[in-house]
Amino acid sequence: MGLDNKKIIHDILWLRLAQMIVNEEYKAGKFKIPIHLAFGHEAIAVAMNHFMEGDDKLILSHRNIAYNLARHGRLKPILDEYFLKPSGLAEGKLGSMNVINSQKGIIYSSSILGNNFSVATGVAMAQKILPQNGITIVLGGDGSIEEGTFHESLLMLKSLNLGAFVIVENNEWSMSTRIDQRRCPIDLEKLTSSYNIKYVRLEGNNSIEYIEQLKKLRKLALDGMPVCIEVMVTTMGDWIMKTPENPNGKFVNYHAGPAPTVELKDWPLLIKTSEEDPIFVLNKHANSSVLEEMSREIRDEIKKDIST
Amino acid sequence: MKYLEFVNTLLKNEVSKHDKLILFGQNISAGSCLGGLTKGLSVRPSSKIINSTNSENTLCGFGFGMMMNGVSSIFFMKQLDFLLLGIDHLVNTYNIIRNMKLGSNSSFTIMPIVVDNGYQGPQSSLNNLPDFCSIARIPGFSIMTKWEAEKIISTELVSPGFRIITVSQRLFKEELLSPEKLYYSNDNNTVFQYSLGKDATIVCFNFSFPQGWLLHQELQKSNIDTSIFNVTSATPTNWSKIIDNVQSTQKLIVIDDSKSQNLACDALVAEICVTCNLKKKIILKRQLSNDWLNPTSDLMEIDIKHIMSQLIN
Repeated sequence: MGLDNKKIIHDILWLRLAQMIVNEEYKAGKFKIPIHLAFGHEAIAVAMNHFMEGDDKLILSHRNIAYNLARHGRLKPILDEYFLKPSGLAEGKLGSMNVINSQKGIIYSSSILGNNFSVATGVAMAQKILPQNGITIVLGGDGSIEEGTFHESLLMLKSLNLGAFVIVENNEWSMSTRIDQRRCPIDLEKLTSSYNIKYVRLEGNNSIEYIEQLKKLRKLALDGMPVCIEVMVTTMGDWIMKTPENPNGKFVNYHAGPAPTVELKDWPLLIKTSEEDPIFVLNKHANSSVLEEMSREIRDEIKKDIST
Repeated sequence: MKYLEFVNTLLKNEVSKHDKLILFGQNISAGSCLGGLTKGLSVRPSSKIINSTNSENTLCGFGFGMMMNGVSSIFFMKQLDFLLLGIDHLVNTYNIIRNMKLGSNSSFTIMPIVVDNGYQGPQSSLNNLPDFCSIARIPGFSIMTKWEAEKIISTELVSPGFRIITVSQRLFKEELLSPEKLYYSNDNNTVFQYSLGKDATIVCFNFSFPQGWLLHQELQKSNIDTSIFNVTSATPTNWSKIIDNVQSTQKLIVIDDSKSQNLACDALVAEICVTCNLKKKIILKRQLSNDWLNPTSDLMEIDIKHIMSQLIN
């Protein structure tokens, strides 16, 4: 295991454990604000953190926790932000869905679905005019591509030759409905090809491979070409809720709020047999005893950090 | 000089002064150039003019995105109605920008034309900038006179922050209103006073200054000496000078030609009713007939003789 790979593995474990700690606080009812956890989004978030350089700008959505944690590298300022404390990352002014961190290139996060695509076109235009040594990266989900502004923004990015990564995290869900329950399928590859925009699909939750692919695409963006990158993710935290109407339990897809079935553990694997869980994928890079030891150390580090 | 010609000349002069300024909008340097508003604009080599796509929502976000990344821009828009598509950004994006002071050295201005010359049909009953500005306390200006055009374009068009500046299409081909003297304007360029009279105070809102100015001149012929103000702001502003004046004249005439139920003038009237001892209060608002959504004249007419008799009696 190379040094870089060890760091990437560390970061994925750290990101999962940090989210689990947030989830524990959430379950305890300690937040006044809604938080959209991102269990299962760790691989692309960590890859993005290792990929970003120079004046790269990252523009996020309401489900920004994984990227903000990965970019910042410490839980406490973000946890304090969720507690709306002055010691929070944004002095407690932004809560969760709009968290930004300009020093780390995260210059905007939007709680409005699709809103950030159009802001990103402007950010990319400014990068071209100033000019800045970097590219614009904007994140959305499979729900946000249903917004008109997604298409408007692709059109403008292409028409104005603005280099950008438009990343679509496809978790198949928008709140409580799966794609097949709410709309016809959208073939993003065909759609983007009609704009003559390059399409790339990332799947498998392997951060190391993701970073390599992102690096190969950077030149296109620097040359003024937008790239649409669809990343397949599984947002984990589903649970069965028992109600008087559903005494045997009703499936609840994870969207927002705490994930009651997820518990903080030394080894934070959530899906034991599937590449849907980025933690499972780590077994490709290191043996389980090394990973579990690393995980215990990270957990202790985070707990120490947030107790200060 | 015509209103349109004057505003266009000022715009040409102002945009040519700035480096790295982006002008964008649909057909702003093609065809009629928004009925002539943006005709002949030229910018420095570091700046850019973009004939944009028809994507109003994204165009609003585009301007805010440039602003937060340090580039100033102006979005020229053919019709105020089109801005309805960008309201998400006017509220949500602008709120984050203000809250976190993003792009605080950059400027973003949206400059729509208010299509208030009538006969546009059902789609264009919207002539009220305050409807947009009040939802998120957005600075907004409507230009009526030579003085206002000069001040607002030179100090607000490219200036740190965000605002909406509107012009009236009804006035495009009219002679520019050029009151001889500007008695007062506040620091925000939101209240302009063009005469100082002792008998009554006329305050005009939205695009009603031409009616107010005509009323002022007609009353003058009958030896009724009025103070006249134009409020260019779309939201409550520092109008202490108006209130001082009304306290002196004790007679108030307010004209607001907006078709909305959300009238900027109402806030002033409420404040005056609380702070002034009024002997006369004449509030002139639109009386909309049943055909207000049909193609019809948009000009709000006022009955000067009736107003005069109300003032005297």
